[in-house]
Amino acid sequence: MESDELIINMGPVHPSTHGVLRFKLRMDGESIKECTPVIGYLHRGTEKIGEMKTYLQFIPYTDRLDYISAFPNNYAFVKAVEELAGIEVPIRAEYIRVLTMELNRIVNHLVAIGSLLMDLGAATMIMWGFRERENALQLFEMLCGARMTFNYIKPGGVREDIPEGFMPKLNEFLKDMEKRIVDYEQLINGNEIFHMRMKNIGVINAKDAVNFGWTGPTLRGSGVDYDLRKYEPYSIYPDLDFKVCVRNEGDSFARFIVRIDEMKESLHILRQVVDNMPVSKVISSAEYGIAPMTGTPTAVSTYFPRIFTPPAGEVYSRIEAPKGELGFYVVSDGTTKPYRVKIRSPSFCNLTAIPSLVKGLKIGDLIAAFGTIDVVLGDVDR
Amino acid sequence: MNAAEELKNFLPGSVISTGLQLNKPMAVIKKEELLKAAGKAKEMGFDHLSVITGIDYKDHFEVIYNFFSYSKKQNLALKVNLDHDKPEVDSLTSLWKGADWLERETFDLVGIKFIGHPNLIRILLPDGWNGHPLRKDYDMNSEQFVTVGENGDDIVSPDGTNLLRRK
Amino acid sequence: MLFLAMWTGDIMFANTYELIVFILNYIGIYDPIYKVFESFGLEYLLRIIIVLVEIAALFVFILLTVMFLTWMERKVVAMVQARYGPMVTGPRGLLQPVMDGVKLIGKEDIIPAKADRWVFTLAPFLIFIPALLIFIPLPFGESLIISDLNVGLLYIIAISAISPIAILMAGWASNNKYSLMGAMRAVAQDISYTIPLALSAIAVVLFTGSLSTVDIVTAQSGTWFGFIPKWFIFLQPLGFILFLIASIAEMGRIPFDFQESESELVAGFFTEYSGMKFAMFFLAEYAHLFSVSAIVVTLFLGGWSVPFLNFIPAVLVPLVSLGVFLVKTYAIIFFAMWLRDTVPRMRIDQLLNLGWKIMIPLALLNLLVTALLLTAGVFK
Repeated sequence: MESDELIINMGPVHPSTHGVLRFKLRMDGESIKECTPVIGYLHRGTEKIGEMKTYLQFIPYTDRLDYISAFPNNYAFVKAVEELAGIEVPIRAEYIRVLTMELNRIVNHLVAIGSLLMDLGAATMIMWGFRERENALQLFEMLCGARMTFNYIKPGGVREDIPEGFMPKLNEFLKDMEKRIVDYEQLINGNEIFHMRMKNIGVINAKDAVNFGWTGPTLRGSGVDYDLRKYEPYSIYPDLDFKVCVRNEGDSFARFIVRIDEMKESLHILRQVVDNMPVSKVISSAEYGIAPMTGTPTAVSTYFPRIFTPPAGEVYSRIEAPKGELGFYVVSDGTTKPYRVKIRSPSFCNLTAIPSLVKGLKIGDLIAAFGTIDVVLGDVDR
Repeated sequence: MNAAEELKNFLPGSVISTGLQLNKPMAVIKKEELLKAAGKAKEMGFDHLSVITGIDYKDHFEVIYNFFSYSKKQNLALKVNLDHDKPEVDSLTSLWKGADWLERETFDLVGIKFIGHPNLIRILLPDGWNGHPLRKDYDMNSEQFVTVGENGDDIVSPDGTNLLRRK
Repeated sequence: MLFLAMWTGDIMFANTYELIVFILNYIGIYDPIYKVFESFGLEYLLRIIIVLVEIAALFVFILLTVMFLTWMERKVVAMVQARYGPMVTGPRGLLQPVMDGVKLIGKEDIIPAKADRWVFTLAPFLIFIPALLIFIPLPFGESLIISDLNVGLLYIIAISAISPIAILMAGWASNNKYSLMGAMRAVAQDISYTIPLALSAIAVVLFTGSLSTVDIVTAQSGTWFGFIPKWFIFLQPLGFILFLIASIAEMGRIPFDFQESESELVAGFFTEYSGMKFAMFFLAEYAHLFSVSAIVVTLFLGGWSVPFLNFIPAVLVPLVSLGVFLVKTYAIIFFAMWLRDTVPRMRIDQLLNLGWKIMIPLALLNLLVTALLLTAGVFK
């Protein structure tokens, strides 16, 4: 039996939530000599579809990109369209958008941490994480009727106002979540075996990380202090007070801790949003809108036109999605459909570094390092 | 003075024109000078290559590079025009390792060749696929069938009669 | 009458055979039956039959326990993970193991085409049978032991060392290079943790001077200061920890179960097994869990002895001691299951590192310190 070189295929089907991703590994005994990811199993041609649908019709497709955190996907596309067309958004709608995006950030980090720990063998974390996620999904369902793919953020605002009973339930969720994060930290930080599996695995320094095009929590784990919400703020982020969570070691453990810290910061942001929620319309009206609905002043919503033509031009707008920097490059030629939609997805760009990150590691380390990069295949393959 | 004007001052021969991409400075670069201009942009502090977009206008191709500088917190976009019959441009993998997959994706979907790329093969579509879908003259009605071969590689063929299909 | 008096602390009967003979004598039917056998000239056959009945009872008890343990594992894991576990089959899911058994019996028994048929079929049995043989010198209660071997502890460790052979047989006979690799890794893990196991057990023997398990248990009877039982865990804390960790590693449970992790890409040495053969591997694992916990209890936690046994009428002592033994064993099993839900698994090289570089020196240190203290006369 030859023992020097072995080609192992980590097949497209995994018992974990990442998706259909295939690794071709060339092994030298226990260590990996070369790793080639093979992607494209979930390619659905979203960019081509973008050229064939109107702006509003394309929003449900953006939901399906990174299906675990769908609100930021919606918002990134809508922000690009709003910049292109010069649409102004009422202040309450901005607050609701930030509320949903930060809630989604918490949910996304719960799933990321849970599946990382499940890959390593502690199945408890994913069960606890999904218990919290269930509460958040019920909140989303109250808000827009769907649990995972929302289609809620539209150019001009959001689709509907917050229903009754949402705020008390949200407050309960925030209180609950604070206590649970303390639980998670206890489960993980005091765990010696976890430290052994995660420290000094997959180390990358700041310069290399930037060169690879890494963004988001993975970059902040390597010491680069940059967060689009703080340094190129959009929506109401200039008015909110939060810290950017940065760690300097650059290994898997640092990236993991950054995510836990970010969850805490998101709770802080959510409390500020809930306390300061203004009263206004939730969607901006256009001069050729359909007649407004009657109702209480906070709930008036005039229809924003379903088909509109932004002026010709191109725009590249990016936001800080939970996985990194999500960017939409939208080219409009003055018709009702975009000429080109290009999606810059964080998981795709984070995945480029895997071959050089895992050279010389063992397979167990590949799992640990890959889990901290937090890849969702819907985002990678589009 | 925005970053595109600065670039024009440094390399007047390479920059054809400067303008704005909505609110970000954009410079249109000559095709042959792209590597030099990108290197200059990297020296100027633009260390984050955000996205490489390939667009098929019916008479020419455009490739747009969006850069960002972490230290100066500024944006810069570079645009290159390529002719329709022979869309080739230099690859930036020697400067940014992250450009590797972005260029492979542009090659895969739009069909732009990047000279000097170490491994320019398809990434999202299966290896034997015919055509580049994001081109405007791609035939959306043609069907290609993909099956899995012996060692996990994909086999693409336009003939699907030996697959089980319900009519 | 001897058995209505309070228990004095001495073992009444050497093993269960003598207990059964005493009971039959008391009822009065022993002599007639003996005379029947003697008329045929086959006195020894009666002894064999009684012993076979004992063994059958033990076998049934172990199988029921193992089935119960599979249910308990799922319930404990579910409790930690804030969910219910099996609830549908039977009241609170108690019939779940029965249903699992029925399902596994109904599966097709596949033997790979180029596999070595006999070795392939023998391997599961060779893992299961030693797991049952270990129970012979284990004292379940006062005078409830199949056979009090003089070399009980040595026998236990020797039988546990048969499993690497069976694992290699399973891995080799599958004719699958990944199974063979998995088998070799499992064997490496097994043998590297047998050494600290044996060394910690030997440190206990230094106290009792005898390898017999009954002697080890009786040496732990009594109390210091009136309320601390004389269990060896208080005399040998390091030995207890080492023994516990080594046993969990032998069994291949989390945190040492890299065999079953998907990160190894293969399911380990029992990839090719299906149906009832697969069930044998799993039953052997749970039987191993029960036996190892029983050994830990016998060596360090006082076996079936507990200080208040002296105040119980002698006739009830076997039953009460059995109950005490089971409580202690289940406490250790619960700890092992609880550990499984809480910690992630270790990488193989970290695991072997721990076994060779950390645990063996510590076990030797433990032995050294114990021997020094004993020679100095600190413990009489």
